Amino acid sequence: MHVLGLDVGSASSKVVILDENKNIVSSSVFQVGTGSSGPARALDEALGKLSLSLDDMEKIVATGYGRYAFERADKQISEISCHAKGIFHLIPTARTIIDIGGQDAKAIRLDGSGMVSQFFMNDKCAAGTGRFLEVMARVLEISIDELEEYDSKATEVVNVSSTCTVFAESEVISHLSNNVPKENIIAGIHASVASKACGLAYRTGLEDDIVMSGGVAQNAGVVRAISRELRRPVIVAPNPQIAGALGAALFAYDEAKKH
Amino acid sequence: MSKIDTIISQLDAISKNPRKAMEDFKAKTGKGAVGVLPIYAPEEIVYATGYLPMGIWGATKKQILKATSNLPAFACSIMQSIMELEINGTYDDLAAVVISSPCDTLKCFGQKWKGKSPVIQFAHSQNRDMEASNIYMVGEYAHVREELEKVLGVTITDDAINAAIEVYNENRAIMRMFSDVAAMYPQIITPKKRHAVIKARFFMDKAEHTKLVRELITELLQQPVVPFKGKKVVLTGIQAEPDELLDIFEEFGIAVVADDLAQESRQFRTDVPAGSDPLYRLAKQWQNVTACALAIDRDKPRGKFIADLVKEHGADAVIVCMMKFCDPEEYDYPILLEDFEKANNIKNLKIEIDQQSESLEQVRTRVQSFVEMLG
Repeated sequence: MHVLGLDVGSASSKVVILDENKNIVSSSVFQVGTGSSGPARALDEALGKLSLSLDDMEKIVATGYGRYAFERADKQISEISCHAKGIFHLIPTARTIIDIGGQDAKAIRLDGSGMVSQFFMNDKCAAGTGRFLEVMARVLEISIDELEEYDSKATEVVNVSSTCTVFAESEVISHLSNNVPKENIIAGIHASVASKACGLAYRTGLEDDIVMSGGVAQNAGVVRAISRELRRPVIVAPNPQIAGALGAALFAYDEAKKH
Repeated sequence: MSKIDTIISQLDAISKNPRKAMEDFKAKTGKGAVGVLPIYAPEEIVYATGYLPMGIWGATKKQILKATSNLPAFACSIMQSIMELEINGTYDDLAAVVISSPCDTLKCFGQKWKGKSPVIQFAHSQNRDMEASNIYMVGEYAHVREELEKVLGVTITDDAINAAIEVYNENRAIMRMFSDVAAMYPQIITPKKRHAVIKARFFMDKAEHTKLVRELITELLQQPVVPFKGKKVVLTGIQAEPDELLDIFEEFGIAVVADDLAQESRQFRTDVPAGSDPLYRLAKQWQNVTACALAIDRDKPRGKFIADLVKEHGADAVIVCMMKFCDPEEYDYPILLEDFEKANNIKNLKIEIDQQSESLEQVRTRVQSFVEMLG
């Protein structure tokens, strides 16, 4: 038996396929999200690795911003529930999840059985999200993957606004024109993302263990900034970008076992 | 169409087309209308003139173009859309507008009204629990009365205001009853229908509204009460609009069993007290206002008030409808969170309200997650 979880985010598409024993037997990530070819390509790749088709999947659950756009799904479940399910499966000691994706940042509180007991999401604003980092990387003329390396060489954290992406962008341009080293600006950008995420996380009560998921968790600079702000260790989920798709696949597994 | 559907669609049509409601009133009575801005105003004084008091609460999905020249970007969307509409001349048919001053944006609104209608502005007292508050409010309401008399060329007698208070109290009582009866029939009174019935009262003669709602209640009570499988919530905030938001509630099986919304129950939670001096009665009503971010209350009873609503109505949770950029509401939110936690950890969700918002996908995610969390 195979089940499939598809996470169609705003910036990327992720697929996880589980076998009868809940093992991840295939996964894929494409860095384009809803409304693009991303979901189809992610599905093709994950299914192709196993030489299987969608018809071979016992159940399919879709999550993420584009969850309703995928008609083959048996069920649509929100990304909050899916991230919680995926993270708790990987790290059963997780009680607080900070998930930063392409356009959403979320803080989720879990109880001892892995159920969501409270959650907070960012308001309609790109500040503090993956999109914010994309905009900044473009202004700094580096790739998003390089942000972490620059951050590790920072000697100082410069102030970058966390209120608005557009204002923050002009602040960064101003720092650049004042010859502030890119490393220090990037550390400031990461601190800005951290302050937004932590504003949400503080509201959960911040019970340990604190786990990060979502694409931005792959950036160690942001993780360090969050840990510094919270003054607590922050665990990064293994392969954090697919945590939501894993949760969707686990829900699909539960659905399959119901019948 | 059943009688229930007929009444609801009649009220829904009025709530969606205030201009037509005003024109119908003019055709019927030969008198015009007076605009009344949020949140609290002595509508009874307007009603006593024979003019129609028209609630002005902005407009959903109104493209904001010119308002930004007159308001900061962080003014709430109600004020942004009112400003846009006044600049466009939408309110110029009103004989006057009455503006209270409960927040920083409204405080300055009368000075920068861009429409042609005369503006009558007044301010509520801050220290509400002392007798001096009543004396001050009588003075403010006397000012509203004098200005209305001047602008409309009428005399407003004490008897007329007292009679208006009785009409309004009757409407308040029937609205409280409607809210309770609606909670018994969530399969019939969806969140959107509930909102339409309540909102219509801003655009029609309260006596007629009372009559229709009373008929609706009579019809509803003849229906069987069926167990509800969805989730019951209490709403709090300034308002729960646009309709698409309420559609999302319905999509995920949410029923509104009570509310603490400024646009809804806060308008009719208590009756204007009895007495002979109508302005003093209206002044005393300001002391009755409780659990509202716009009325100072040292004891901060709002969290407990909402928790009591949850208990009384057997609700599963609270949804905080946070008007974007409404600082009084934002200041209350952390206190509410603490109070909800103290009250047996009442489950709660915050959603952002923006009248101009075209995309509600983020709200959909929040509501779906919330319903999944409630189990």
